[in-house]
This record gives sequence, C-alpha cells and structure tokens, in this order.
Amino acid sequence: MPDGALGPPSRFRAGLDRLIEGRPEQAVPLLEAALADAEDAPWAGLNLALAYVQLGRIAPALPLLEAAAVALPDHAEVRFHLATVLGLRNETDRAAECYSAALERNPDHLLSLAGLAAIEESAGRHGTAAALVARARRLAPEEPELDIMGGRLALAAGDAATAAADAERALDRRPGHVRAASLLAEALRTRLGADAAAAEIAARAGAEPLRADWPLVAASLDGRAGRLSERVGELRVAVALLPESTDVLAELGKALWEGDQRPEAEAVLRRAIAVRPGDIDLRNWLATLLWRMQRPSEMLTWLDSATADFGAAPTLEVNRALALNALGEQDAAVAAADAAAAMQQTGASALIARMQVLAYHPEQGHAAALLAAGRAIAERLGPPPPRPERDRDPDRRLRVALLSGSFGAHPVGWLTVAGFEALATDPGFELYGYALRPRRDGVNSRFRAVCRHWREAAALSDAAVAGAILEDGCDILIDLGGYGDSGRPYALQRRPAPVVVKWVGSQFATMGLDCIDWMLTDRWETPPGAERFYTERLLRLPDGYVCFSPPPYAPPVAPTPVLARGHVTFGCFNNLAKITPQVLALWARILATLPDARLELRTQTLSEAGTRERVVARCVAAGLPMDRIVLHPGCRHPQLLGAYGDIDIALDPFPYAGGLTVCEALWMGVPVVAMEGDSFSGRHAVSHLSNVGLPDWIATDAETYHDLAVARARDVPALAALRDGLRAQVAASPLCDAPRFGRNLAAALRHAWGAYCRET
Amino acid sequence: MSATHSLQLRLAEDAAAAMRHGRFAEALPMVERLGRLPDPPAGIAALRAQALFGLERLEGAEAAADLAVAAADAVETRQLRARIRLARGDAAGAADDAAAAVMASPGDRAAKGLLGICLLEASRWDEALFFLGDVATDTDPPSVLQLAHAFARSGRFEAADELLAHCTARWPGLPGLAGIRAQAALFAARAADAEAIARAAIAADGPSPALLALLAHAQVAQGRLAEGSATLAAAARLAPEDGYLAHLAAAAAGEAPDAAAVEYVTRVFDGYAPRFETQILSLGYRVPGLILRAVERLFPDVAAGDARLGSVLDLGCGTGLIGVVLDDLLPPREGRTLIGVDLSRRMLEQAAVKRLYTEFRHAELAAVMAADTASYQLITAADVFCYLGRLDPVLALCRARLAPGGVLLFTLERSPGANGEWRLGRTGRFAHSAEYARSALASAGLEIVLWQEESLRLEGPDLVEGWLIGARAATAH
Repeated sequence: MPDGALGPPSRFRAGLDRLIEGRPEQAVPLLEAALADAEDAPWAGLNLALAYVQLGRIAPALPLLEAAAVALPDHAEVRFHLATVLGLRNETDRAAECYSAALERNPDHLLSLAGLAAIEESAGRHGTAAALVARARRLAPEEPELDIMGGRLALAAGDAATAAADAERALDRRPGHVRAASLLAEALRTRLGADAAAAEIAARAGAEPLRADWPLVAASLDGRAGRLSERVGELRVAVALLPESTDVLAELGKALWEGDQRPEAEAVLRRAIAVRPGDIDLRNWLATLLWRMQRPSEMLTWLDSATADFGAAPTLEVNRALALNALGEQDAAVAAADAAAAMQQTGASALIARMQVLAYHPEQGHAAALLAAGRAIAERLGPPPPRPERDRDPDRRLRVALLSGSFGAHPVGWLTVAGFEALATDPGFELYGYALRPRRDGVNSRFRAVCRHWREAAALSDAAVAGAILEDGCDILIDLGGYGDSGRPYALQRRPAPVVVKWVGSQFATMGLDCIDWMLTDRWETPPGAERFYTERLLRLPDGYVCFSPPPYAPPVAPTPVLARGHVTFGCFNNLAKITPQVLALWARILATLPDARLELRTQTLSEAGTRERVVARCVAAGLPMDRIVLHPGCRHPQLLGAYGDIDIALDPFPYAGGLTVCEALWMGVPVVAMEGDSFSGRHAVSHLSNVGLPDWIATDAETYHDLAVARARDVPALAALRDGLRAQVAASPLCDAPRFGRNLAAALRHAWGAYCRET
Repeated sequence: MSATHSLQLRLAEDAAAAMRHGRFAEALPMVERLGRLPDPPAGIAALRAQALFGLERLEGAEAAADLAVAAADAVETRQLRARIRLARGDAAGAADDAAAAVMASPGDRAAKGLLGICLLEASRWDEALFFLGDVATDTDPPSVLQLAHAFARSGRFEAADELLAHCTARWPGLPGLAGIRAQAALFAARAADAEAIARAAIAADGPSPALLALLAHAQVAQGRLAEGSATLAAAARLAPEDGYLAHLAAAAAGEAPDAAAVEYVTRVFDGYAPRFETQILSLGYRVPGLILRAVERLFPDVAAGDARLGSVLDLGCGTGLIGVVLDDLLPPREGRTLIGVDLSRRMLEQAAVKRLYTEFRHAELAAVMAADTASYQLITAADVFCYLGRLDPVLALCRARLAPGGVLLFTLERSPGANGEWRLGRTGRFAHSAEYARSALASAGLEIVLWQEESLRLEGPDLVEGWLIGARAATAH
C-alpha cells in the first residue's frame, strides 16, 4: 500500500483513515472521489468496497472487488473479500473458488480457511470442513469463531462433550457470543437432556450473576423448548448485563418477534440493523415482522433495499412474492416466486410460496395450474412413507387428529368449530387437537372443550409433530393449515395417520401431495368432473363443506342503506391479494353503468399509508372514479361486521373468491354478487351462496357479473326485502345447521375410514 | 450511579413492565437475577412473590410474600400476601393480612374491598357484607357485582337478585356477571335459570371452566346426569390442571381414580363448610350417632362410666361432629387427647369453634398418620374412606397407630354391583364391595370386631346404604 508521507494527505489517505477509525460513511465520499480521479487505484477501489460492505451495501462493492482482483493478481486478501461478498450474495460456488484462490496465494490465510470451511460445512462435507478448521485453529488457537465452527462440527459428528467445551472456550474469550451460547445450549441438551441442561445453566447463572452468557444459553434452551416468554426475559437480562452487544440486542429482537411483542420487536430490530446494516438476516426478520403487522408496502421497501445490497436470494424473493401478493400485485408476486423457485435447488419453500401466490393470479390461478404447482412440490418432497398400520375395523371408535395453527377467532375457527362440536357428540369419534400456534380466545376454548386430548405443538419440529400424532395412535388426521403461514406440509409428508384429510385452512386447491388421501368438499366446490384437478380423492358432503358459527358479537342487521341514501353502496371486505386488475376493471364498468353508486373497500392492510397509495394508483389505472370509492383501514372484527350496515351489495373478487367474508356478509344481511371459477378457491362463494339458497347471485363471466350487479342494484325493493329475511334464511340453512353438519361429517369420515379398512 | 445500581434499576423496570402486561413468565428471569446480584434491592421479595403469584406458583409465592412482609410490612405487601393466601384457600390468613392493610391505610377503598372478599371467603358474612357494602359504588361496577356475590353466598337471595338485576341492566357485559348470576341462581335452587344464564354466557364469550362447571351443576340438579357428565368433561379439558374438575368429571363418567383428588375434597368441603352441619343433619346423617353407639358397645367400661376414653384420632373430622358425640366419654378438656384431621381449613375452623378438640392437623390423612408416632385407643373415620378407592395403604397406616386393644371405627358405602373392588359414584364418592373391604382389612392385619349394615344418610330421595365397621389389630393365634 503506498504511504501518504509525500505532500498533503490525499483523499485516499483521508478516506483510509476514516475507515480505520470505523467511520465507513465518512470514508465513502473520500474514496469515491479518489477512485474517480484514478488516485491510488486499485487500493482506492478495494477500500471503497470494504467501506460499502461495512455499510451493508454489497451490490456496489462487488464490481470494485472484481476489478481489484484483476489489478492485484497475487493478492490473497482481495480474493478473500471477494469471496465473502459472493457468499453474502448466495453465490456459493464462486465464493468457494475465490477462497481457494486466496489460499493458493497464501496457504495460511486464516479467514479464507474459515470461509471455505463454512461453505464445506453447509454443503454437508463435514470431513473436509473439519480438516480446514483444524488447519485454521493451528494458526490461531485463540480465535473463538474457530472454536464455534469446530464445536459445531464436533456436535454434528456426535461428540457433544467436545462441542460444549469448544463453546465454553469461545464464550470465555468472547462474552455474549450468541452463536457460541446457542451451540453450548444444543450441546448440553444433547448430552444431559433438556431439563438437566436448564438446571446446569441455572446453577452457573447463580454462581456468576453478572455474566451475560448464562442467560443467553438459558434463552437458547427456552427457545428450543417453546418457552417464548421465558426466553424474552432471559434475553432482557442478557441485554442489561451486556448493553453494548448488538448481537444480544438482535437476539432479543427476534425473541420479541416470536413472542408476538410486535411494536417492541420492530424498535429493537431497527436499532440492531442501524448498528449492523450488513446483516441480511436481521433485515429479513424485520421484513417478516412487517408482514405479520400487515404492512406489506414497507416490507417490500426493506426487501428491495436488501436485494439491492445483497443481490437476489431465495428467502428475499419468497418474502417479496408474499409482500407483492398482499398488495394485490399478482403478476409481480408470481414473478418473484418463480425467481425464488429457479434459485432454490433444494427444499420446497420457494415452490410452496409459489403455490400460495399462484391461486390469486388472474390468469394463472386456475385449477390445472394449481395442480401442476402442487405436483412440483410433491416431486421435491419425494414419496411419503407407507401408512401406519391400525386396526382395520370399519365400525370402531376412531381417534381423529386436528392439526392447525388457527384454532381460534380465525376463518378456520369460524368455519369448523361448530362442526367439530357436533362431531364430538358422536360416540364413534374422539378428537385430538394439535395446536401449531398458541391462541386464547372464546373460539379456542370451544376447540379445547371438545378435544379429548390437547397439545400445544408450536415449538415442536415437523418430525416431532408427526411423531406425537403417530404415538397418540390417531386414525384420521384432518389438516387445517395446508400451505398457509402456520401449515405444516412437511409434517403431513411423514404421514402420521393412516387416513389424511384436507379441510379448511389454506384450502384453495389440491395440495398435490401423495400423503393427502382425501379432500373434504361438496358438489358446488367440486362439481362432477373436478376430480382431474385433485390428487386427493374428493369426500363430498351432501350440503356445503363448512359449518359457519356466526360471531356472537355480530350486531343486528341494519336496513339496507340505499333506502336512506338514495344510491347503492357496493362493498368488498376481502384482502387486497384477491383484488386483481381484472376485478378492478369490472368494478369500474359497474360504477360507470350506475353513475350514483359507490364502492367501499375495507381490509387490514389499507391501514398502511404506502399500501393505500399503491391501491389508489391501481384503482385509477383501472378507471375507477375515485370520488365514489372509499378505502377504509382495518378495524376489529365486531366493527368490521357492523360496517356491513353501510353496504347494500357485496362484490366478491375472483379468481380467489371470498370464503368466510361471504358468510359474514350474508349473516349481516348483505347479499353477494360472485363469480364462478374452476379452482377450489374460485368456488368458495358458489358453495356458500348455493348452500343458503342464493344460487341466482352467481355469475359465470364478467358480462353476467356486471349485469347481475347492475340489475340487483336497480331493484331496491327486492334488495330491502331480501335483507330483511337474510339472517333468518342463513340461520335456517345447512350452512349454520351444526347437528346436521356433524352427522354428515361423521358419515364422510366413516366412509374414508371404510376405504382404508377395505384396502389391502 | 454505580454500574450495579443502574443494572438493578433497568432489570426492575423491565420486570415491572412485563408484569404490568401480565407477562409473568418473562418477568421471572429478571426478578430471579435481581435477587442474585450483589446487594439486592429491598423490594425484591415482593417482586418475586408477585411474579410467582402471576404464574400461579402459589406455594413459592407465599414464601416470597412472607419474606417481603418480614422485610417491610407495607400495605402493598400485605395485600399481595392476602391475595396469595386467598388463592391458596387460606381465607383466615388472607383476612388477617387484608385487615392489617386496612388498619395501616384506613381510607383505602381497594384495601377494604380486598378485606371484604377475604372475609367472604372466610364465611364471615356480616363483616364481609359490611366492608363490601362500604366500597360498592356504581362508579366501580365490579365492586357492586362483588357485593351481589356476597349476598348470594351468604344466603340473602333477594338482595342478591336485586343487585344482580341492577348490574345486568346497567352493565350487561360486565366480566364475571353471568357466572355470578348463574351461581346465585344455583344457590337459590333455581337450576333452570342457572342453566339458561350459563348457556347464554357460553354462547357469547365461549366456554370457560367456571361457566361449564356451573352449567354441569345446573344440569345435574335437574336430574340430567348424562348431560352434566359431558359438560364436566368439557370443563376438565379446558382446565387440565384443576384436580377438582378432573375428579368431578371422572366421577360423573364413572371412571375410578385411585383416590379422590386432594383438591376435590378440599374444594367440596371448603365450599360447604358453613352449611355442612345443617345440610348433612337435615339429610338424615346418622353416622356420628352410630359411632357413639359402637364405642359404647366396644368399650363397655367407658359406657358404664368406670373409665374414660383414651386418646382419639378423628380422621376427616369435618366440623367436629364426632367430638360432639364423644365429648361425654372423654376426660375433661385439659386431660384429653382428641386430634382432628381434615383437608379443609374451613371445616377445621368450624370444628375449632366447638372447643372440643385438643389439636387440629390440616393435611391429608395418610400424610398425618405416616408422620405420627403416637398410638390411639380409638381412630374414627366417619364418611372418610368413601373418598378413597384402594383402602389397603390407609388401613395399614391405621393399624400402625392403634394402641394395644385400640379400635378403628369407620364407615364405607356399599357398592351396588357385586363385582369389582370399588367404584366411583356420580356424587364423587367411592363405594366399595364387602368382599374387597374384608380382604383389605385382613391384608392390613386387622380383624373385624364389628360389621353393621346401615343406612348412612339420605341423598336426594335415596338412602345411601353401607356399613359401620370396627377393627382391631389381629393377634397371633
């Protein structure tokens, strides 16, 4: 490196000084200027790249490092930095080449040995990785990171004692090292079992009350055992003991996220990201938190910035797909999911995300495409194991497992709980509940009250969930999660019961999986001939496929508002993912035909300013008259139901129709104009409207949808008369007839069981 | 500020914030750490008690509260311990603490309200009504509801109904209102009303263990045992940690656990203590009289007035009815040994009022006998073994505590079916077969000296049939 002793300090020298002082943001303009003047190149370029990396801006660093590598052909360090950046960008093969190139130039380049070892380890080549780590540890016996790598490899090789010793060495040298604490937790758990490990750590914490490592290890053990609150508490202790550690702070942020303390999680993650902008993981955590908080627009901004800095990565693209979908930008969502799937060569998470967003796509969201998407997942998962063997007595009492993260005030709850209550009165069945997300509300209590056995399974791995269902000897497993947020397709893939049935809970299409035997449905959801779009056998109930529990707090039906206002108000309270450009265009035509009519949209994500702006832009582009459109933010469920008092007619979206939303509108006296599709999700409204005796509200194409909406809006007396009697009509219909539904469900499950008994 | 001091402040603040939001599991690690730091802050025991109480770890919570009161006898710590003691079923202890808090801070409404609740649980109706009436005001709806509850509990049904109607009209959604209305209807023997109220509340808010238990009681009271049984099973599923509900559900379903859960016995008798005597006597309860007759027969010199009865252990003494009937046969108070054992603190309080017993032990009877080293001339167990399934262990313990020539006198309810050793009946009590009782006595090394068929009491319209049994330690032949 040239020294700056000659003449006044150059901009390069000044930039370098700032970098050494740990002020990369001040170094950047100086080094950029130096580079522009070709001053001290390639060193200016190299150091500018390092400054960028420190600021988390990986993308602009890459070309600089590539240029520096060409300019400095014998330099190991440049190749090491290049490898690191490539690794961050998920370009693993190139990263490995660069590490090797660095080691050719300097066989003792410690960090390259470590970097290459990490790549070998994640590729599952543990022997090679261990050899590289051993070489590195000879060079730097005091380096805690190498202790951690060595310990992790030892644990993978079954040597928990060495792993624990390595982790402790690392913690001795670098207090508050989160990964070392996590390794120690895992090693102790493996060696002693969960309870003894926790006792051991509690004893050490008692002996050294000012040391942050023990609460960190305790937090890690809590996390593994699903004790989310205790984990937060331990991490708060660790933060108090080691307030300067960003690692520990970030860990607290993640724990708060998982413990559902959302606003504080957001604040803590933002603080951690400000200190560690180069941590892709933290940004992804924040993005998924924003997803939970129904702020897809801001989530997208974060993901875009992460992608700009780190390049495209499958996780980022998967989350982009979900964010775009939540914003109702289905084209871009499917494109992101496709990109993720193309990048991800192993695992099915990208394909599952693709399936999730595909159902909403205006052109591609049809039954055949969804079947193909489901089959792609099945191929990736491989064949399921054989069914477990059970006593094949067709008439005996059956143990039915219910698997869901949505046992509560959630569409799954409102559409199934009354059915299960009725089923539980049949002595031929006993229900076992496996809850994949902790919930406590009135609907959750109803589920727990009917399940003979209840297990909170959120903390369990897929294998452990499947293991519990298998050990409990369940005969039939009803999945109520599908490919949704808290679904467990990998647990289903283990086939923990001889008969597996898919029901409500991201039930938008076939799952495409060989491990699912039946899909609970009805003749409207899946008319004759629909079989070809399903890998499951269709278990058609004689009425509708769900049993609706009207929320007890639903206010009385209000008079249809057109009577007082003189103009019709349409409404759609579905989430934005369902609102395609075609839907908006059709609504624009309806409003053009009815120049006084209004349209109100209401959903959670409209509370976010950025999302509203995007939706307004899309509405304008679709030709909707904005002076007659109201976008309402989300509100609590009782208020949402009350808001139907302002709506005369609900307009259902397509191709992904409303499900619970249709039932709720009908219960609130609001009839629904809906479009018939060919996928399962495209026919939810068809099922519910037919089931309550309103099949004449179903359109078959855009033309009939338009005409139907217009004709119904113009016949105000008919609208008022229908509304007056609609709640009573729904209440008396099979949609709300739980005893009748329970008998039908029992017969259907008995039929599925009989098929298993007859099978050889 | 020293580093340790600021660390303490931060942890205390974080812990307090977590507890304010009801996140006690999160607070506990911070509280525990505070306690381990050098020079722990003064309020640490109270914080710990609060966290453990929030986590329903009541025993630890009371121990921590004891330390807190010892360290600083403040109004808040007294109130905290009162609430903990209340939750543990120690109404008298809770009332002591609550009273101390009121004395220290006489103008404190909340303190008076808490005292009223403690007195209510201690069945000190008039005092409870005084304090609860004093604090009840329409600006604080729960205080009015609490007063209504107290009226219902103390049998003042008209006043309760009036106040509950007022609550229903003014604050229809008041938390807990439906439960108390249903309970008041049950107390007043209006089971159909209780059922309707419980059902409406369940439909509105979803089921809770308390509402389901009330519904079940209402169903059983109307003679609909099968429905009540299913409802109790649902209640027990919602509260898997509640031994009382588990026992009731098992009893209703006809399943037989080995012994009635300790919690069941405690809850049933704590709930019934004040009315136990009137209720059980009005039910045609004959057992104390039968015991007296048997003692007179088995100890003729005592009956003749030539001797006094030696030391007596009264297992499951309840409100002390055995003491009442044996009083004349025992030496004068200062010279006698009459020990009463019961799981229900409230029962023991009722018994103590009679001033007949020399000692009370508030514990499970097997535990008492296992720890005891004394021997007794008479051990009575009137209507006690019906809360046990398998009798072998308790009989062996009794034999070990009998003095030479000493007698064990106990009642059993007769199992209607001939087969099996015992069964759990719908009332939550066990009935035994004669064959089993005889073999259990024999294997415990006891020989039968008395075996009388008896109608033990009325239950509804039915007589409960059983036996009064006397046994001595078997002697070698």
